[in-house]
Amino acid sequence: MRMPPFRVLSPKSLDEALTMSRELSESGEEFDWVAGGTDLLPNYKWHINVKRHVISLSSIAELREISEESIGAMVSINELAEHESTHPVLAKAADSIASVMIRRSGTVGGNICLDTRCYWINQSETWRESIDWCHKCDCGTGADCRVIPNQNTLCVATYQADLAPVLMCLGATIHLASPKGKRSMSLCDFFKLDGMTRNVLEPGEMVTHITLPEDASDWSGDYQKLRQRESWDFPEAGVAVLWKGDEGDGPSNLRVATTGLESIPSLHSEEAKGALENWSGVETVEILSESIRKAVKPVQNTWFSPSYRRKMVKVLTKRACRKLLVS
Amino acid sequence: MSEKEDAPKEIVGYRQQPGKLPFSRPGSGGKGKFSESTDQEMIPESQGGKLAQEWGPHRHDELISGRVVGKSTALVDSSWKVTGQAHYGDDVRLPGELIGRIVRSPHHYARVLSIDCTKALELPGVVAVATGDDAKNRFGVLPVTKDEHAMAVEKVRHAGDLVACVAAIDEATAREAERLIQVEYELIDPIHDMREGLEDSGEPIHDRGDYHIGESNVQKRVFQEFGDVEGMIENSVASHKKNWIFAGVNHAFTEPHAVVAHWDPTGRLTLYTPQQVPHYVHRALADVLEIPMHQINVHRTFVGGGFGGKSDPFPHEMCAAILARKSGKPVRITFDREEVYWVNRGRHPSRIEMNLHADDEGRICGIETDALIDGGAFASFGHVTTYYNGVLHTAPYEIGAFHYTGARVWTNKPASGAMRGHGAVNSRCAVEVGLDDLAEKLSVDPISLRLANLLPPHSATITGFRVTSIGMRECLERVREESGWNKKFRKLPLGKGIGIGCGFFISGSGLPIHWDPNKFPHATVHLKIDMDGGVTIHTGAADIGQGSDTVVAQSVAEVLGLPLDMIRVKSRDSDTSPVDLGSYSSRVTFMNANAAISAAMQIREELLDATVEITGAERSGLIIGDRRIFLKKDPAVGVSYLEALHKSQEDRGALVASGAYRTPPMGKMHKGAAAGLAPAYSFSAYVTEVSVDVETGQIKVDKVWAAHDCGKALNPLAVKGQIIGSCHMGMGQVLSEEMRYGRSGNLMNPDLLDYKIPSIHEMPEVIPIIVESNDPEGPFGAKEAGEGPLLPILPSVCNAVYDAIGIRTSELPMSPEKVHKMIEKRCREEEVSDPNNLPSPSLQHSSLQGVLENRAKEHRIRDKDRRLDEGRSDYHNGALFGLDPTIPPDEVDPRWSVRVTPEEEYLKSPRLAGSAWKHTERRHAEGQK
Repeated sequence: MRMPPFRVLSPKSLDEALTMSRELSESGEEFDWVAGGTDLLPNYKWHINVKRHVISLSSIAELREISEESIGAMVSINELAEHESTHPVLAKAADSIASVMIRRSGTVGGNICLDTRCYWINQSETWRESIDWCHKCDCGTGADCRVIPNQNTLCVATYQADLAPVLMCLGATIHLASPKGKRSMSLCDFFKLDGMTRNVLEPGEMVTHITLPEDASDWSGDYQKLRQRESWDFPEAGVAVLWKGDEGDGPSNLRVATTGLESIPSLHSEEAKGALENWSGVETVEILSESIRKAVKPVQNTWFSPSYRRKMVKVLTKRACRKLLVS
Repeated sequence: MSEKEDAPKEIVGYRQQPGKLPFSRPGSGGKGKFSESTDQEMIPESQGGKLAQEWGPHRHDELISGRVVGKSTALVDSSWKVTGQAHYGDDVRLPGELIGRIVRSPHHYARVLSIDCTKALELPGVVAVATGDDAKNRFGVLPVTKDEHAMAVEKVRHAGDLVACVAAIDEATAREAERLIQVEYELIDPIHDMREGLEDSGEPIHDRGDYHIGESNVQKRVFQEFGDVEGMIENSVASHKKNWIFAGVNHAFTEPHAVVAHWDPTGRLTLYTPQQVPHYVHRALADVLEIPMHQINVHRTFVGGGFGGKSDPFPHEMCAAILARKSGKPVRITFDREEVYWVNRGRHPSRIEMNLHADDEGRICGIETDALIDGGAFASFGHVTTYYNGVLHTAPYEIGAFHYTGARVWTNKPASGAMRGHGAVNSRCAVEVGLDDLAEKLSVDPISLRLANLLPPHSATITGFRVTSIGMRECLERVREESGWNKKFRKLPLGKGIGIGCGFFISGSGLPIHWDPNKFPHATVHLKIDMDGGVTIHTGAADIGQGSDTVVAQSVAEVLGLPLDMIRVKSRDSDTSPVDLGSYSSRVTFMNANAAISAAMQIREELLDATVEITGAERSGLIIGDRRIFLKKDPAVGVSYLEALHKSQEDRGALVASGAYRTPPMGKMHKGAAAGLAPAYSFSAYVTEVSVDVETGQIKVDKVWAAHDCGKALNPLAVKGQIIGSCHMGMGQVLSEEMRYGRSGNLMNPDLLDYKIPSIHEMPEVIPIIVESNDPEGPFGAKEAGEGPLLPILPSVCNAVYDAIGIRTSELPMSPEKVHKMIEKRCREEEVSDPNNLPSPSLQHSSLQGVLENRAKEHRIRDKDRRLDEGRSDYHNGALFGLDPTIPPDEVDPRWSVRVTPEEEYLKSPRLAGSAWKHTERRHAEGQK
C-alpha cells in the first residue's frame, strides 16, 4: 500500500483552521479534516475518497480540553478512557475500542465521525476494480451497491464506532463549526441515514466538542459489544443502556442506543419508553431486548452475519441491563 | 575489564611453548577465559555421567561433551533481530535499485488477448516492463507438477494472478505505470466450488495433456485400501461418521514477500529472498531464465516467518530477475499484504468425510476417510497434500483397516499449498474428534481408548511406515496427570469443558522432492576451522525463525566441546553453502543436525589423533570437555582444544570436513508408498480447557497442557516456543481464521484486520510438556518440534467444546455464530428455551472401560520392553487383531491385501472425493476408443 500524495495544513487555532477551510472551498479544492488519522489514513492507503488537501487538527489546543461536561473533539480516546471525570460507561466504551496504540492516536471527534465500513469498500483499489467498484466510492462509474444489488440510492455501509451510543444515551450535544458559523444539536440529530453522507456535516464543517447535560452523572448503565476478538476488532454490534433513579421499583428513566448494526447509531426511544411504562423487572428486560432485536436491520457486510448480529443484540441488551436487575 | 584482570592469571589445560604461538592469551578461545569443568548432569549414564537414560543409550552418547545440547539456548541470531539489525527481504538496498510492481488480473479466469505496455513505457522513470512472453518455461516446486509461469501465458487463473510487471525509478512511478498497462481479456466461466472441480469442464484450468484426468479439474487423486476393509463394518459395535468442512487458512507470517534481484557485471544473478527452500528457487530460476544453475546465487535473507508459505519458488521472484536482466539494474519487489493472500499457498479448504469404527474390544477396526481438497489455481505441493490427508492418520493407533479416497481439484482461487502441519491437520482433527465420539458411544474415557490402541515403538503402520521411537503413551499419561483430567472430564459445569487431542507427524520427508538417481544426500554441512579456533559452518538449511542455525551450531559445539560463541553459521548464499533441501516437512533438525554431527565427528577424530600425538595418551581413554581434550581417568593429562587444533593443522592449514545425511531405505512398494515416509515421527497429546458462552457461542480457551515427543529437546527453549506458537496458530484455525470468499468469488478478507488471528487476549496459558523418546536415528535422539505440535490443539478444543455444551462441530473455524446455531439446535432437541438450562454431557463408564485399562497396562509393559530391547522382533500393524506381528499382514492374509485403484464396484457409489476416479486419464481413454 502506498499513501497517495496530499498536502497537510496544520493550523494552530480553530480560527486559523476555519480560515483555511474557507480558502480551500473558495478555490474549489476538496479537503479532509484529520484528527488521529487512524480511520482516515488507512482509507487513504486504500485510495478511498482521497482528497488533495488535509487539514490536521492536532495543533489546536482548544480542541483538546476535557472536563466533566465538555469533551474536546481532539481528546484522545485513551485520555477519555482514563480521565477521572469521564462517565464510567463512556470510559468503558472508550476502553474497549481497537487497541491501546490506536486509542492513543484516535480521538473522540474522529470516533464519532468514523467513516462507515463495508466488506466491499474497505479494500484496495485493485480489489475494488476486480468487483467493478461499488456505490460508495468510485461513483463516477455509476456502480451498483454490492451488498444489496439493484439499489444505488442508499449506501448501507455500517457505522462501527463505540462512543456514539453511550453519548446519545447520556443526552450529549455536539458542537460544530464552519466558516459560516457555529451550530449545536443533540448528538441524535447529528447522524443522517446513509452510509455515504453519514452525518449533517457540511463540506468544510467540523466537530469542535461534545457537551454533556448536568444530570449526566445521575445516569448509570452499561455498554456491551460484540466482536470476534477482544482487541482490534470493530464492534459487530454494540448496545448502550443507561438508566436513572432505580429505587428498587424500576428506573425512572431509561435510554437504549445501538451501534455497529446500521449506517448510523440509533437511540431506541420508543422501545425504552414502552419498557418504562410497564416495568416489571426480568420480563420487561426480556421484552425490551426482543424489541431492540426487531428494531435493528443489519446487512451482510461485516464479519458476522446479520442474523447472528440481531440475535446478539438481544443478548447484549439483556447483559447491559444486568446491573439494573441486580440493584 | 581492567588491565590487571585482563592479564592471564593462570593457564589451564595448555602446555606453554613460549614463542611458538603468537597468542596474547594462549587459552582455548571463546569468551570464557578458562575451561569449565564438565557438567556430569549433562553426560549420559552410558558414558558414566549422571544423565538418566530411561529410554536406553543412543549412538551419539559418546559425542556428548555436556556443553550446549539439552540446555535452553537463546537463538544464535536473536540479538540481530531484537536490536533491529536483521535484514529481511525488503531491507536489502542495492545502489541504483529500481522498484518493481506486478500487474495482476482483476478476473477469476480469463484468456489474455493482448497486453499493451506502450503508455507505461512512455512514462518518465519507467525502465523496463515484462510479460509472460519474456519467460515461457514452466516451473513449480514439485517436478511432477510444474504448472506455473512467471507471468500469465495465455490465461489468468485467479483474481490476483500475475499478468505483467514493471520496473521504475521509484514506487510511485512503478504504481502509476502499473495502471497504464492495458490488458485485454476474454472472460471464461470460473469455478469456485471445489465440488464443481470434480466434474468435466469445458475449459479445465490446466491441461495436463495425456495425463489429464478426464476433462475435469482433478489435479490429483488417490485411492488406498489396507487391512480388513470388508470386515470393518461387520466387526464394529460403534461407528462415527461426520462430513467436515474446513475453511482455507493462510500462514499470515509477519513479513510480506519481498525480493531483490541483481545481475552482477560478470553476468551472474544474485537473488535476495526470504525463502524456506532456496535450493528449489535456485533450480526454478535456472529453468525459467534458461541459464545454468552455477550462474545463480540465491541469497536467503532473514525470514520474517514462513510456516510453509515461503516454500515454493514464486513467480514474483522470477519477475524480479527478469526485470533486473532487462533493466541492467537491481530490482526490488515488496508485496502488500493483499498480494500475500493472492500468492497464498495456505492450508487447503477441504471437505472431509470421516468414518471410524470400533469393535467390541474397543479396538479401532477401521478408518474410512474421503478428502476433497481445494487446490486453487496451481499445483504447488498439492500432489503430496492429497496423500498426506490420508496417510498421516494411520498412526499412532493400531487399526484394523484403512480406506482412503482423496482428490485435489483446481479452482479459480489463489493456490493452496503447504502450511505448518502440511496435509495432516484437517484430517487429524476429524480423526481425533471421531475418537472422542466413539469413546462417547462406547461409554469409555477417550484417553483410555487411545492408550489401549497405540502402536508399540519400533513397529510398522498399516501403510508400511517404519516407526521407531514413540512417546505417545507418555504424552497422554502426562497430560492426563497434569491437567487433573480424571477429576474434570464430563464433570465440569455447563459452559466449562475439557478435551483431548493427539497428533502424529513426519520428522523429515523420506524422499526428497527432487528425486535424483545419484543418491544425493538430503542435507550436507561443511565445517572449516582455522588457527583462530572458531568453527565456520556452511549449511544451506534455511533459518526461518525456527532456529535451524542454532541447532546446527549447537550440534557442532557439542561434539567439539566448544562454547557457542566460537561457532559461526554461514547459511545464506547458495554460492558458499552446500545444498540443503530447505525448511519444510520438519526435516531440518533431524537431517541437518545429523549431517553436522557427522562432519564434526571427522574433526573430532583429527583432534583426538593430534592429542594422542602430543600427549602419548591412549586414544580410547580420551574424552572431550570444554575446550580441552584429556584422559578421562586422569584429567591432568590433556591438551587444550587450540593446541590439538594447531597440531592437526601442521603442514595443511585449516581443517575442513563435510558431513551428509540421507534417509535409509524404508517403506513398501505400492503406488504412493513414499508419501508420508519419514526417518522418524513425532507424537503429541494436548488437553485443553475451554469456557463457552452459551448465549453468544463465544469460545475462550483457558488453558492448554501440551505434551510433545520431540525425541530429545536439543534446545528446550526453542521446543517450548514451537509448542506455544503452534497452539496460537492452531487456535486461529479452530476458532476464527478463515479465507472467506464472497459470492462474487473474491477473497473478502485479504488483510490482517478481517483475517482474524487470535490476539494476546485470546491466547490461553500453555503448559509445554516435553517428552523425550530418544530416537535412535535422530541427532542426539532428536525429532521434529515445528509442525507436529500444531495438530492436537484443533481437536482438543473441539472436544473440550463438546464437554462444555454437548455440541460437536463439523465445520472450522468454530466461529461464535456457528457455535450459537448449534446451541440453538441442541436447545430445540432438548426442548429447553434457555441455553443456560442445557444439560452438561455426562459419562457412566461401561464394562469396556476396564478392558481398555487392562490392555493399556499390558501395552505399557510391552512398549517399555520393546524400546529397550535391541534384539526386538518386528511388529506390524495388525497384531492387535490377532495376526502374526512379525510378518506384514498383507503378505499372509488375502483380506489384508493392498489396493491402490478402485474396483468397479466402488465406482457405483463413490464418496465425494472418490468420485474423481470416475474419470479416465486421457491416454487410457484414447486407447479405449
